[in-house]
Amino acid sequence: MKKSNKIIAGLTAMLMSTGSAFAADLEFYFPVGVNAPAVQTITDLVDAWVVQNPQHTVKAIYAGNYDETTTKALTAAKAGSPPHVAVLLAADIFTLVEEEVVTPISDLANSDADKEWLDGFYKGFMKDAIFEGKTYAVPFQRSTPVLYYNKEAFKKAGLDINTPPKTWEEMIEMGKKLTIKDDNGNVTQWGTRVPTLGGGAAWIYGGLVISNGGLLSSDNGVDVHLDTPEAIGALEFLVELAEQGVMAKGGISWGDTPKAFIEGNTASMWTSTGNLKFVSDNADFDWGVGFMPGGKGPGAPVGGGNFYIFDGITDEEKAASLDFIKYMTSAENAAKWSIATGYIAPRADTWETPVMKEYAATLPQALVARDQLEYAGREFASFQRGKVTSFLIDAVEASVGGQSTPAEALAKAQKLADAVLNEYK
Amino acid sequence: MKSTINRIAYSTLAISLATVWGFPFIYSLWAAFHEEKYSANFTWNAPLTLENFATVWAAAPFSLYFTNTVILTLIILASNLILCTLVAYAFARYKFPGAGLLFSFIMVQLLITPDILIVENYNTLAKIGLIDTIFGITLPYLTSAFGIFLLRQTFKTVPISLDEAAQVEGANTWRVLWDVYVPLAKPTYLAYALVSISFQWNNFLWPLIVTNSPEVRPITVGLSIFATVESGVEWALVNAATLLSTAPLVILFLIFQRRFVANFMRAGIK
Repeated sequence: MKKSNKIIAGLTAMLMSTGSAFAADLEFYFPVGVNAPAVQTITDLVDAWVVQNPQHTVKAIYAGNYDETTTKALTAAKAGSPPHVAVLLAADIFTLVEEEVVTPISDLANSDADKEWLDGFYKGFMKDAIFEGKTYAVPFQRSTPVLYYNKEAFKKAGLDINTPPKTWEEMIEMGKKLTIKDDNGNVTQWGTRVPTLGGGAAWIYGGLVISNGGLLSSDNGVDVHLDTPEAIGALEFLVELAEQGVMAKGGISWGDTPKAFIEGNTASMWTSTGNLKFVSDNADFDWGVGFMPGGKGPGAPVGGGNFYIFDGITDEEKAASLDFIKYMTSAENAAKWSIATGYIAPRADTWETPVMKEYAATLPQALVARDQLEYAGREFASFQRGKVTSFLIDAVEASVGGQSTPAEALAKAQKLADAVLNEYK
Repeated sequence: MKSTINRIAYSTLAISLATVWGFPFIYSLWAAFHEEKYSANFTWNAPLTLENFATVWAAAPFSLYFTNTVILTLIILASNLILCTLVAYAFARYKFPGAGLLFSFIMVQLLITPDILIVENYNTLAKIGLIDTIFGITLPYLTSAFGIFLLRQTFKTVPISLDEAAQVEGANTWRVLWDVYVPLAKPTYLAYALVSISFQWNNFLWPLIVTNSPEVRPITVGLSIFATVESGVEWALVNAATLLSTAPLVILFLIFQRRFVANFMRAGIK
């Protein structure tokens, strides 16, 4: 009797662990790159999933900015207690693969329905989720830079308020009309503002190169193309903006750019769609959004964070994690997240939901970013991303600071990058 | 005549240095009490507002974070004062084989930034199950090479005759330490406590990495949700949050200002 009880108990346990009744306690690390209320939105979404799946629990852990979240996740993984799911930079895929801490999602999501689900994401966002044929990440909080412009400033300068500049030449030409000086010759309103300092600048510069027909990095994470004519041309354009007097000389910081725009210090700015909410909340003038002005055609980088599932957890936990990710990226939830933050909803079906249609009607600027995706390329990324990106940042900063010409600065960056990446070849 | 000129020159220098030093704080006050659009736009009659503080207070459980920070700072301070005193006393007054080598090992720790040890420390904590606890945050900081060094140097300056006199009176070692050395090192203790409290109060990366729950997170980690990068920085909120989190330290310093300054001069930390 006793023995048979044991067997029954054992069998039940086995059934439990393979069936849907399996209970997983998930840890989910997330960074927030946008304003604080977004944390509440994420917590609400997580709670709703747990209500639907009462056998599971999820602990949503706010882990700082992107870099801090990655550090925290890597540290925990090295100590044998990785998070189950994390939202980390799309560009960090090479680092995560190199450290062998993430599981390919395409290995888990292999049914036909799953494949269809993965195919539903915008191609522009999947480019940096794939490595050596395997999908390692699922797009979640993705963004792309766009040109924000002050319609009132355009009107005053005698420009059409519905046609922002599309090319670099137009940007300079319109920028000259938009630049206003006071009686003493001090500029009170610049034509435009492109961040030229730090990582944000490298991101936007990558988009300039794409619009000029080049691409700074490649799918294998090893080859970078920093000293091509396309790349040099793009950097020369950045320098020229200041030389022609349409943009302030010297370095321009990323963080202060939206503020300069809402205060009217600049008639236009190049920055992330992550600022849509900030600008619409704070600007007391009519504003519009356009594609990033391009060299040979439109072009932009994608950026932001993807979902990753970690290795070193049980298969059941991986299955529950996948389920969780599907929930978070479902049409309704992606819509909530996109509206709360300004990130671009990563799937076409999200844009078909009634709330999203309503949002697009009240904030048509959001559609511009989605439509620009067609011309978007991957963000600069490689193995040893931190180090290699710093060479790129140095090159951009040295050029706008006038310490070196774009061609020299980029040639130096290429040489340094190759030295680091050679061992990965 | 000459001394008046000197005084004026010194005062001018002091005032201008103080202004440069105080500017970030003044700016912080400005931004925190005005609406976002005035944060880089200095209109003298811009309307004052307390809304930033309300927003910030509502966005995070600040009272919880404050309590955590205070607990963790006090644990570290208490254990530092006790452990560093004992170790420093041993190095200052006892001669034992290997003392020089041991002391140099302790000194070497001053050269290592704590951030390098994060992965290793995390591993240790994970093994003993102290991840995500307040005690876990404090563990790597319970003793301090800097504190030991500072106290040892102070104890060495205590005239040995005082020590001997106390012993002649029949005081045992504990008594001597407690009644002779500790009172004489009071300025050093106060100065060290100030440095330690402000370091622990501001520590960020390590608490962020070893904690997962709001229940154990200190104020710096709680505060970081306002330091957003991607969408531009909302200076009004950031400054309101910063003022809130530093307020207890600033108030404490203002109360004890005279003693702190006097003690710093005496302890030779400048």
